[in-house]
Amino acid sequence: MSTPDESSLRDLAAAYALGALSPEETRAFETYLATSPETRQEVAELRETAALLALSAPDAEPAAGLRARVLEAVSASKLRPLSPSPTAAPAPPRPARRPSPLVWAALAASLLAAVGLGLRTGRLADELARRNAELAERDSTIAEQARRLAAEGQRLATTDSTLASLLSPGVQLVQLTATGDPDPQIQLFWDRRRNTAVLHASKLKPVPAGRTYQLWFIKDGKPVPSVTFDVAPAGEALVPRVTVPSEGQISAAAVTEEPAGGSPQPTTPVLLVGTLAKS
Amino acid sequence: MPNPGPVSSAPADRDLIAQAAAGDERAIGQLYDRYATVLYTVAYRVSGQRADAEEVVIESFAQAWRDAARFEPGRGSVAGWLTMIARSRALDLVRARSRRERITQTAAADVPDAPLAMGTWRGDPADALDRTERRRQVRAALDELSPPQRQAIELAFFEGLSQSEIAERLNEPLGTVKTRVRLGMQKLRAALRPFFFEQGP
Repeated sequence: MSTPDESSLRDLAAAYALGALSPEETRAFETYLATSPETRQEVAELRETAALLALSAPDAEPAAGLRARVLEAVSASKLRPLSPSPTAAPAPPRPARRPSPLVWAALAASLLAAVGLGLRTGRLADELARRNAELAERDSTIAEQARRLAAEGQRLATTDSTLASLLSPGVQLVQLTATGDPDPQIQLFWDRRRNTAVLHASKLKPVPAGRTYQLWFIKDGKPVPSVTFDVAPAGEALVPRVTVPSEGQISAAAVTEEPAGGSPQPTTPVLLVGTLAKS
Repeated sequence: MPNPGPVSSAPADRDLIAQAAAGDERAIGQLYDRYATVLYTVAYRVSGQRADAEEVVIESFAQAWRDAARFEPGRGSVAGWLTMIARSRALDLVRARSRRERITQTAAADVPDAPLAMGTWRGDPADALDRTERRRQVRAALDELSPPQRQAIELAFFEGLSQSEIAERLNEPLGTVKTRVRLGMQKLRAALRPFFFEQGP
């Protein structure tokens, strides 16, 4: 690939302002940008243009309490500013002071002085771009961690309620097994009072793509379709809430392999079965 | 008078950023009163969730507070800077979410919220007027673009797609997409220059 010439680099300004360049194009463009004051002016205007696009979105107003939350976050972030690098020493106790504007002015001046020394400028631009990318990455890591924490909280809540179902009085355990194979096993914790069950499977073989496991209750001698479930690579599955038919006489529970989405009637032989004792 | 700008007694956005850089939290409150609606609007458009949009607004102002000393006036207006921070944080959030949803295969789909929050806060009426006029101009300028130009620009801005990703999504040659982005943005820039958040020096 040949080096893009100046006019084709300049053509990238609009996409750069929209953040729509590939990482390689971005690097090439930023190196060029450091040497071209006219293009910097153009990019500034295009960025203003891009920012105005926000106003084309449907109107939405923030809730009344948001202002207080913003100011709270600002006060909080005063206490823990971004440290300059992961290896740097801990910040001093009054860290709200960022590098003074003078430092940045000096940096800007040195950047200007470098214009014309193509190579050096390129390096500075690269360095700046790299630092910016690092900061952006750290920011997005923090956002990601917050999200993950929320997801973890959600998972814990589900686990809690599953545990509560297992421990409630009157729960009966039904084991589903396969004939001739001791490995695959399904435990059904059947809460007779609520007509619900928790399904736990272990050592089940993963099914091919487009297929799934399906649970059946045998009611008055006929199979009634229940949940479908997939197993993790280790062969485990947990279905925290299965509804058990409340009417009629249920004699057994069984599992078959079915097309994804399940079937109204079993289409393959029963893999595992367990009988439900009368209460 | 399409772009009245701040009233003479009110501090300019740049002065507020300088105050924030000097450690004055009240400056962020004033910027919030001016631009929270714009930031929230773009965050909501990108994320489709009220709670996400609020989180983005909080993080964006916190970032503006931390980075105030790094604000470069030569690179554009304070409002444009804040808006672009909110846009990229919202895109980060959406990307992180879709990564996570690909990993865990939970079925619970997020139902998009209604666009308008209940019990909403409304900023300074003068700012609102200013915003209404700008919004009208932005929409009119977008209406002047060819539909393919507009589509390419909106995919880049609101969905964070690169030109190659846009080409892939639309099944169009990359060169065609690049031309649409470039010509469309140049046309918007010419039409919207009088309505920029701040006028150049």
